[in-house]
Amino acid sequence: MLSDLLFRLRTLFRAKSMDTGLDEELQFHIDRQLEKHLQAGLSPEEARRRLYLEFGGPAQVREECREARGVRPLEALSQDLRYGFRTLRKNPGFTTVALITLALAIGANTAIFSVVYSALLRPLPYTDPDHLIVLNETHPRIGTVSVSYPNYLDWRAQNHVFSEMALVVGVGYNLSGISQPETITGQAVTSNYLSLIGVHPLLGRDFEPSEDKPGATPVVMLTYPLWQSHFGGRRDVLGSNISLDGRGFTVIAVLPPGFRAVETVSVLAPLGVWLTKNSYAFERGNRGDTVAIGRITNGVTLAQARAEMVAIAARLAAAYPEANNQFGISLQPIRELFVGDIRPALLVLFAAVMFVLLIACANLANLFLMRAAGRTREIALRIAIGATGGRIIQQMLAESFVVAGFGGALGLGLAVAGMRAMKSFIPAAALSGDAANLNLAVLLFALAAAVLSAIAFGLAPAMQSIRAGVHSRLKESGKSTTSGVRQNRWRTTLVVAELALSVILLAGAGLMMKSVYRLVAVDPGFRPHHLLRLDLGLTSLKYPNDTAIRAFWRQLLDGVRALPEVESAALGTNVPLTNSHSRGDITVEGMPLPAPGSFPHPDRHAVSLGYLRTLGVRLLAGRDFTESDSETVPPVALVNARIARDLFPGQNPVGKRFMSGRPDWARKPEWITIVGVVDDTRMYGLANPSRLEIYRPLAQVAPDEMDLIVKSRIDPTSLTSSIRSVLASIDRNQPITSISTMDQLVQDSVGSRRLTLILLDVFSALALVLAGIGIYGVISYSVAQRTQEIGIRMALGAARPDIMKMILLQGARIAAAGLIIGTIAAFALTRYMQKLLFSVSPEDPATFALVAVVLTFVALLACYIPARRTLRVDPITALRYE
Amino acid sequence: MSRIDLPQGTLDLLILRTLSLAPQHGWGISERVQQMSREVLCIQQGSLYPALHRLERRGWIKARWGKSENNRRARYYELTKTGRKQLETETGLWKQLTSAVNQVLGES
Repeated sequence: MLSDLLFRLRTLFRAKSMDTGLDEELQFHIDRQLEKHLQAGLSPEEARRRLYLEFGGPAQVREECREARGVRPLEALSQDLRYGFRTLRKNPGFTTVALITLALAIGANTAIFSVVYSALLRPLPYTDPDHLIVLNETHPRIGTVSVSYPNYLDWRAQNHVFSEMALVVGVGYNLSGISQPETITGQAVTSNYLSLIGVHPLLGRDFEPSEDKPGATPVVMLTYPLWQSHFGGRRDVLGSNISLDGRGFTVIAVLPPGFRAVETVSVLAPLGVWLTKNSYAFERGNRGDTVAIGRITNGVTLAQARAEMVAIAARLAAAYPEANNQFGISLQPIRELFVGDIRPALLVLFAAVMFVLLIACANLANLFLMRAAGRTREIALRIAIGATGGRIIQQMLAESFVVAGFGGALGLGLAVAGMRAMKSFIPAAALSGDAANLNLAVLLFALAAAVLSAIAFGLAPAMQSIRAGVHSRLKESGKSTTSGVRQNRWRTTLVVAELALSVILLAGAGLMMKSVYRLVAVDPGFRPHHLLRLDLGLTSLKYPNDTAIRAFWRQLLDGVRALPEVESAALGTNVPLTNSHSRGDITVEGMPLPAPGSFPHPDRHAVSLGYLRTLGVRLLAGRDFTESDSETVPPVALVNARIARDLFPGQNPVGKRFMSGRPDWARKPEWITIVGVVDDTRMYGLANPSRLEIYRPLAQVAPDEMDLIVKSRIDPTSLTSSIRSVLASIDRNQPITSISTMDQLVQDSVGSRRLTLILLDVFSALALVLAGIGIYGVISYSVAQRTQEIGIRMALGAARPDIMKMILLQGARIAAAGLIIGTIAAFALTRYMQKLLFSVSPEDPATFALVAVVLTFVALLACYIPARRTLRVDPITALRYE
Repeated sequence: MSRIDLPQGTLDLLILRTLSLAPQHGWGISERVQQMSREVLCIQQGSLYPALHRLERRGWIKARWGKSENNRRARYYELTKTGRKQLETETGLWKQLTSAVNQVLGES
């Protein structure tokens, strides 16, 4: 097979010398045969005649030899490609439209595919990632919660479905002593963690089992990015000391560049070091920021593993009702954790962009059909002089492959640009390894897209043209015949399909637009404008007690409030949309005691004076905190409207009392008096409903991590440096964990929907334009074909408006067909984007009506332009039109 | 004695057989076939060359330029290893075919 191909290729490239060789070979034969006849005594004329009879025509023999050597198909292919290239260059208008259409469609597809690939398809950088399962605890009212350390130990000891199980704790560290103090994220992990996921340190050693126990020497592994950015990638970093939260840690290893945790992580420390400082972790009821990761034993299914773990959780709940009542367990393949919320959006976008490619192909098929119609006579002539059908198809396909080749290359360029633009919108954690980029898979995808579209838009016109050519139409006089009916039907079908696909895209974009519009119109319960938010965490070494902590916060607040541009400033924990939260059970005085696990479980905030005013949270009843709500007076709290509704239905909660935790916990109940009711805030994003919330005054609690919120008279981001210097004057080693404006947080909370909206808008606009071009092409071609007929009608006295109506009706029929089919398909498909929608039904009638109006308008406009042009023509000219 | 036109497919067999004796050029092959068949079989000389090029493409024979008896440049063909095997198979097949046909004819 291969040698055959090589033989053919060699022959092709040596075609010239091959031919002379063939001539020489045949000439030798002729000469010898002639000689033989002459020697036999024939006259020269007779000898030549015999030779011709015996041998045949030399030209024909030569052709047959070339055929036998298998040169023809390859030769023909290169001929066709060159011919295709030439014809395309001679029709710059046609070629430009075709190339732009295809480049846009393939570019958009490739860009979206690159994201789909790195988010959904590319393997995670772990050994056998499909066997890695993330385990969490669950609670019927709270949802997924972290794993308590004693529970993890029991899970690990009792299960038979995981070959190994590790524990990972999220930790924030204050890294100081290198340059500016800063907060970095880290994880405290059990010593089996890295071997479990299949990662080996790039430099240094893995953690040891002895380091799982409290009292372990502080050691740390650096991730590759931190090693590069802070330690210049120096190998002698091993054994050196770095300061985390004011303690010295010895660097024992550097992780490989491909290492990824679910969240961005800069350092890993052994669990034992973390346990030393956080001995409360040994209490079973304590659940911090912890997950377990297990490697499922070969041959065990996820369902089997789940069944066994649920049974273990039930046993533990029965054994330790205090801590575990109602707590269950959840098992999740690790990939789901990485992909998270982005999956539905990506799939919708991928489907949408595929539709765009289909529309583009339909359009190109139409363009090629139209051109093939103009070449009917050329093709009929070719068939008449002996070209086979296959040969004609090959020639026509060669042209579409030339278009697809160039279009695909241009599209790849567009895709690279598009990928850069998209990168900033996509959460980095969702992409495995590097962010979306060009790789072999993406290149192959682009190639496949180009080849498949070349076949899709090239084959139908090619088939069509030979079918037309077979009814030899040599005698027909050019374009004025009506035998193009079949072709027109083809084209009309394609345009109907384009319009239908456009309806689906427009409906999707419309629903998305309405969702985002509804979402940003949601009242978040606070006013985000002109607010800067800075996150600060105090390290406990420097601030050992509540008094020191409160003193720091007071100093900071006073300093910031003194800045001239600051209108107001306040401190609060768990500010809305920051994804930080703290919750706990409460007991309302006098309420019937629910079972453990069914107590009200509100979000808790600690706030300074002025918090409500600064954040713009409305006070609905009672009073705000005042200076007199100090450490020494009985504790007070504010509650939100949801608590008033749920826990005090029909009553005024002001003056009522509750306590933290459950009565059976309390050493001595400390009753907290409700002094006011405030509005609900959307703590967890605009799309998520409000929960129960309570607020306590900073003076009565002393959190070591708070958000500083500053309302400014000017652009809030310009305050950053003056706030930094206020902070440095109080404690120059105190880092700021993160800075953002509240407006930005609101934006981010609708971020993935907004990206989906932007892309869907772009795709559907593209679809609409392409479909518009499609229907324009069909109508203008059919009008041009009917110029003579229109001339006759006008000569016979038809009024221009009547003819206009006739043409518009033709377009309207096509549009109506597309609209009906598209609407039915869209009804069936939009429910797949339910997850992306917000308070809009996937069958929202208003959206569908608007889509119909837009599409009809575009379709009629596309018909009106060619119709008006034809009607301007003088009837006499029209009659003579050939 | 009248001349017989070649049945379909036998030309390849005759070429391979001729070349199994010695390398030969195209004209030589046609002469040789006529001689060996005692002038009964007649090759349409024009169809010899496409057949030669086809066999070369299949790798059963290979060609090189050489000097002819009268000192001219001529293209000589010779059998390759696969060609020799092919000749054996085809000869076997041919013998089966002819003996079967003979049997049928003998019975009637």
